[in-house]
Amino acid sequence: MMADTGSDEVAVIGNIDLTPGEIENNMKNTQKSEKGPVLFRKMEINVAEAEKRTVKNAVNMQEIYTVYLIETRPADAASEGTNSTPDSLWRRYSEFEILRNFLLVTYPFVVVPPLPEKRAEFVWHKLTADNMDPDFVERRRVGLENFLLRVASHPTLSTDNIFFSFLTEENGWKEMVFETGFQAKADSRLKALNATFRVKNPDKRFAEMKHYGDELQSVISQLLRVRARVADRLYGVYKVHGNYGRVFSEWSAIEKEMGDGLQSAGHHMDAYAASVDDILEEEEHYADQLKEYLFYTEALRAVCRKHELIQYELEMAAQDLTTKKQQQEELATGTVRTFSLKGMTSKLFGQETPEQREAKMKVLEGQIQEGEDSLKEQNTECDVFVKSAWSDIERFKDQKNHDLKEALISYAIMQISMCKKGIQVWTNAKECFNKM
Amino acid sequence: MSASTPKTLCTSGQQSIQDICHPLSAEESVRTPSPDVGNTTGSIGEKDLSLPNGTPVDTSSPASSSSLLNRLQLDDDLDGETRDLFVTVDDPKKHVSTMETYITYRVSTKTTRVEFDLPEYSVRRRYQDFDWLRIKLEDTQPTHLIPPLPEKFVMKGVVDRFSEEFVETRRKALDKFLKRVADHPVLSFNEHFNVFLSAKDLNAYKKQGLALLTKMGESVKYVTGGYKLRGRPLEFAAMGDYLDVFTQKLGTIDRIAQRIIKEQSEYLVELREYGPVYSSWAGFEGPLQEPLEGVAGCVANCAGALDELTEDMSDDFLPVLREYVLYIESMKTVLKKRDNVQAEYEAKLEAVAFRKEERTAQPPTDVEKCQDRVECFNADLKADWDRWQNNKRQDFRQLLTGMADRNIQYYEKCLSAWESIIPLLQDRPENTKTETS
Repeated sequence: MMADTGSDEVAVIGNIDLTPGEIENNMKNTQKSEKGPVLFRKMEINVAEAEKRTVKNAVNMQEIYTVYLIETRPADAASEGTNSTPDSLWRRYSEFEILRNFLLVTYPFVVVPPLPEKRAEFVWHKLTADNMDPDFVERRRVGLENFLLRVASHPTLSTDNIFFSFLTEENGWKEMVFETGFQAKADSRLKALNATFRVKNPDKRFAEMKHYGDELQSVISQLLRVRARVADRLYGVYKVHGNYGRVFSEWSAIEKEMGDGLQSAGHHMDAYAASVDDILEEEEHYADQLKEYLFYTEALRAVCRKHELIQYELEMAAQDLTTKKQQQEELATGTVRTFSLKGMTSKLFGQETPEQREAKMKVLEGQIQEGEDSLKEQNTECDVFVKSAWSDIERFKDQKNHDLKEALISYAIMQISMCKKGIQVWTNAKECFNKM
Repeated sequence: MSASTPKTLCTSGQQSIQDICHPLSAEESVRTPSPDVGNTTGSIGEKDLSLPNGTPVDTSSPASSSSLLNRLQLDDDLDGETRDLFVTVDDPKKHVSTMETYITYRVSTKTTRVEFDLPEYSVRRRYQDFDWLRIKLEDTQPTHLIPPLPEKFVMKGVVDRFSEEFVETRRKALDKFLKRVADHPVLSFNEHFNVFLSAKDLNAYKKQGLALLTKMGESVKYVTGGYKLRGRPLEFAAMGDYLDVFTQKLGTIDRIAQRIIKEQSEYLVELREYGPVYSSWAGFEGPLQEPLEGVAGCVANCAGALDELTEDMSDDFLPVLREYVLYIESMKTVLKKRDNVQAEYEAKLEAVAFRKEERTAQPPTDVEKCQDRVECFNADLKADWDRWQNNKRQDFRQLLTGMADRNIQYYEKCLSAWESIIPLLQDRPENTKTETS
């Protein structure tokens, strides 16, 4: 949708990350890429392991960090039956962050998949918020693999060279990515995203989408918070039952006929109390699935904001062109339509010479021409952006609906499993009580 | 006192004075209260030896050596078939008068025993009446373990004495009390118990004071005469130790149960907040609306089931547990009374030993009487102990299987809720198959 300025004249203001040419180029690349439309189908990607490394940092202190092993293998190797060893390399979390920032900057119309959280949040009391905790590391490994798979299955992102190198070239990748100069663009992008400005004619769809993103973020945060509290309480209920185990055992010591039944029932109570650990560990997967979409809302908001920014700049450019045209008219007809300080001073101190006026006209004409060309470009850019961004948003919506439905199904299955285990344990205990 | 005057016999049931023999005499008369009742376990006049639940009583003491005719090994299940006295407490009603407000309960009796004029009775009694009965039983049957009553006093303002839950809990406890008395082969024949079950106007009876046949019981009060027992015999010491440990364990179980109820209540609070979040999410989703609402509904169902579980545990489990603590206190009291009787006997025996001139071939009659009392008490106590142990086993089996049952029901309700929304969540046929573990 174009800015409704009524005219095509505008001057260029602001920072545009990608020229329309660049955007078109990227899209061409995705179609003609020799790697095929979707990398996912050509390659198996696996984040297989996590390992701890130590290094001396800038202030000569020992720093411990975790690295993740990324394995890749051509997908047809499995179908051929040859169990070829996969190619592999190690990456740490910060490198994933660099990759993602690059993608954000390079493809601003894409809802870029999020990384797993940097620090453990929404934890219930038994889980530590410790990044070194093995369970956290394991869940992060899964999250990173998920990130790579999402990128590899995205029609646009999967064809990116930097992404491909991330998977295949351990050394020199960082230099390669910094050479693209994305860092500078990243900084200005961040600034633009956080700036406040008012758009006169925003695309309604994007505005609605942004609003949806905000609501989704709010509700998932709330859900995760309450779920953590629920997990906490559930843990308490199960663990207290373990006390029955001990007291039944002590009690059975003074009983004759009742003793055996009590003792065995006590063991079942212990088993019941212990079972909650696995139950809650499984539920963390559900929480992780929710978290992914919580973080996705940020990417969604970024795309909507990007649209606003482009729209705003378009509007500003159109505005500027209008002003310049008016100035041109004034110079030509000698009438002052718009108030300007120059106009006032010239009135007070006398008109300019015809030569001066001529010169000014020429400059203005040049500017107007530039402005019109630029506005045309910006309009195209805006159009292209809107089209590609909205297409990706539609793709994202379908993916979200599918994924969240699957998440709810697996959550229900978890609950069913938990209920069945509960029935089993109490049935066993009841048998023991009956033998008392 | 001559040998023919009525003494307190260990198992003084509803017998006429003439029929009571000296416990040490060789002959015993065996009586069954009603000829047409079959081999009822509780119907032997003198010694209660065949318990309702069939375990035989220790018969080592000479006082209980005979009349073991109807010792049947009954399964617990056959209980109902051989009982001849059935008592039920139900139908609580509130009475409001100018002076006070109180609850009465209907006490229904069905019996074939000859001690009762009618085969059926239905009377109304209030808590005070039960309390009176218990005191009377304790007084007249001092060698026996009297079942406990629910607590008399409740803190006003903390507990609502007229709430449905409280009244129901109390009714169950009163019902259990009467059933335990009715099942006791000696207590069930107690005259006060009979009147309690049958009299239209209990207050008039209460005012009468001593009834005819109660002289036997009232005259002998096992009051502490300042005698100190040197040592409890091994088997009674063992009972005392058992009771001490058992009390401890029951206390622990009570605390655990309370803690579980508390944790479950807090879990419930969180669940009630959790479900609605799914609902509010559903409010702004399109295709996800139904699945999200489904989950919200499921969580609500589970919350309801949890609420029921917690309530049941509070209403049914805890009171029974506490009742047993009272039962143990009763048993300890009886043990102490027994100690006193033994102490008196030993003291008297010692006194005699010092008085050389009175030493005769036979011990003097009052010492003899003391010895009788000791032996009688011991026999009664052992019999009651065994019966109590058996009942305790049944009661706890019932209590704990009840607890297990309630938990099973809770999980079954939750299971069916979650299983029912799986098809809702998977409403599109092209969805992948999910595995149910």
